[in-house]
Amino acid sequence: MRKTFQKWLFLFVAVAFLVTFGISFSIQTRQAKNNAVGLIKLKMEDARKQIVVSRENVATIRAIADATALAKARAFAKMIDLQPSVLTNREELENIRRRLDVDELHVSDEKGILIACIPAEYEGFDMAASAQSGAFIAALRDPAFALAQEPKAKGINGEIFQYAGVARIGRPGIVQIGYHPKRLQEAMEVAAIGNLAAGFRIGKGGRIIIGEAGKIVSIDDRAFLGKSLVEFGFSAAQLAGDAPFVVTLAGVKYIGLAQRQEGYTLVGILPHSEIYLGRNEMGAFLVVCNLILFAVVFVLVSFLVQRVVIDGIYSVNRSLDKITKGDLGERVEVRTNTEFTALSEGINSTVAALKNAISEAAARIDAELEFARAIQMSSLPNVFPPYPERTEFEIYASMYTAKEVGGDFYDFFLIGERRLAVLIADVSGKGIPAALFMMTAKTLIQNLAESGLPPAKVFTEANKHLCANNEMGMFVTAFMGILELDTGRFSFVNAGHNPPLLKRAGGLYAWMKVPPGFVLGGMEGIDYGQDTLQLHAGDTLFLYTDGVTEAQNPEQTLFSEPRLEATLNGEAARNLDVTRLLKHVKQEIDRFAAGADQADDITMLGIEYKEGEP
Amino acid sequence: MTLTKQQEGSNLTVFAEGRLDTTTAPQLDELLKTSLDGVTQLTLDFSRLAYVSSAGLRVILSTQKLMSKKGKLVVRNVQEAVRDVFEVTGFSNILTIE
Repeated sequence: MRKTFQKWLFLFVAVAFLVTFGISFSIQTRQAKNNAVGLIKLKMEDARKQIVVSRENVATIRAIADATALAKARAFAKMIDLQPSVLTNREELENIRRRLDVDELHVSDEKGILIACIPAEYEGFDMAASAQSGAFIAALRDPAFALAQEPKAKGINGEIFQYAGVARIGRPGIVQIGYHPKRLQEAMEVAAIGNLAAGFRIGKGGRIIIGEAGKIVSIDDRAFLGKSLVEFGFSAAQLAGDAPFVVTLAGVKYIGLAQRQEGYTLVGILPHSEIYLGRNEMGAFLVVCNLILFAVVFVLVSFLVQRVVIDGIYSVNRSLDKITKGDLGERVEVRTNTEFTALSEGINSTVAALKNAISEAAARIDAELEFARAIQMSSLPNVFPPYPERTEFEIYASMYTAKEVGGDFYDFFLIGERRLAVLIADVSGKGIPAALFMMTAKTLIQNLAESGLPPAKVFTEANKHLCANNEMGMFVTAFMGILELDTGRFSFVNAGHNPPLLKRAGGLYAWMKVPPGFVLGGMEGIDYGQDTLQLHAGDTLFLYTDGVTEAQNPEQTLFSEPRLEATLNGEAARNLDVTRLLKHVKQEIDRFAAGADQADDITMLGIEYKEGEP
Repeated sequence: MTLTKQQEGSNLTVFAEGRLDTTTAPQLDELLKTSLDGVTQLTLDFSRLAYVSSAGLRVILSTQKLMSKKGKLVVRNVQEAVRDVFEVTGFSNILTIE
């Protein structure tokens, strides 16, 4: 029961633990994912803003740069118009360049051939000869021409360089300045899409990748620049959608999100390990906490149930076990709670009622057994002396029954005037069946003997009758003798009974040599043999049942044959008549038993032959 | 009383130890009742049996009657005290004692 309960409790706690853990794990997972997606979105938003802001910055700075460049070109054109001589004065020209804070100055003639230049090596170059410089040729015909060119990277050092030009004042020609717009370059560098991705990290291991027309244009690792986004590991559907997706790049699992801005595709990714780091830590923490919590719950509940329920049930069961085994004095006293108190009282009152019923039944049975014993006793001759007028013999018999109705009996009766039959017997078993069997045997033997049959014939006949209808397999051991009062001839037969002791006048008691016959009622078809003994005046016979020799003391020692013999022949027994002798033997047995329960009937019969008819 | 069974085919040997009296005889009776199916030779070994009362004799007698119909009962290693009882009651005449 305790095991079953603990098994179920454990199962319940384990399931509760798993469910709790599962729920919190899934909540944590969802939250972690939402947080991750939120973080990616935020960073992408920033990146997109950065793209827009950078472009605007570049545009503003460009406009300022263009205006400045044109202003410088116009100023240079004005200077030439005011003082054409500077065109031939290199020193003055260098002064102007420094004052205008530009790198190059170019002036052409009406045909577009450069006539004055810093650096000087460009002089003589035909502006129409290259596509870049060709854009300014229109100034030869248009006095209002002004052009600030797109800043371009110079092949030599990668620095960007801008040319601006206007028409010469008063005559055809091109006035051009060239310079390195530092601020514009800085702004453009900041705005360059290729540098953008490296500036954005998402968490620790997350990043932003920017693609244009399917190719990577911005990534923290420049080795991937120009590679295809699909080749990198994203699917077309992931890049085109707005929903967060899971992607594995170079063996690492990420959660990703794609957005588009001004022709760029921005992809933000964040590693799973990082997203779920918090969740996993929290999960581990929860597992430990829950394990402790549930262990405590398990132990506590188990302990409480053990105390409140199981111990009670065990205690009740122990008591019930004792009650079942017959200890009706047992009381159930489990009072840990009202239910158990009620149960205890219920059981106690049931047991009390049962005890009552049993003791009533026992009293009734006792009364009936007492009655049976009384009938049994009254069927034995129990008035002594039985034949007060007879002087040929003195007879005394006694039977002390054990607690249970036993099967011992003795009997004596006159057959006619001159013969006396004596009988002692012991029915196997105890109780009412033994008592009934005894009554049958006793009546049967008496009837047969009184009909005049000799002892052996009596037993042979009695055996025949007792074997018939003996379903219970009972039998009786018996010794019977018939004494001819005139002659002292004693004919006897034995059916499995203890042989009697004989004392010749003036001698000592000794066991008679009696051939054993088989018990009565045990087996059909037995022929009993008969023996004869000559008694003389003063000879005494002592007949007994095994209740005498098998009386026990508290140490379970048997009274035994030697003790019986010693008692009969003892100093105290000398010169006692049979009545006193039997009482003396009983006293000795009682003394020996020292209060131990009498297990079997104690039955004795003594007869002294006094004298024959003269 | 302690009873021990030893079966070899249709031969059953029962070792009885202690006292065979009113209280213990039903044990032997019960054991034999449930064990004698198909047994043709029953041996009661009384080497450690100290005492037998009339109730015990009754069981032995009914067993003897039963076994005489289907085979044989042998009583062996009978100790002196029990042998005396068998002698006195005439049981030694009807039992096969070895």
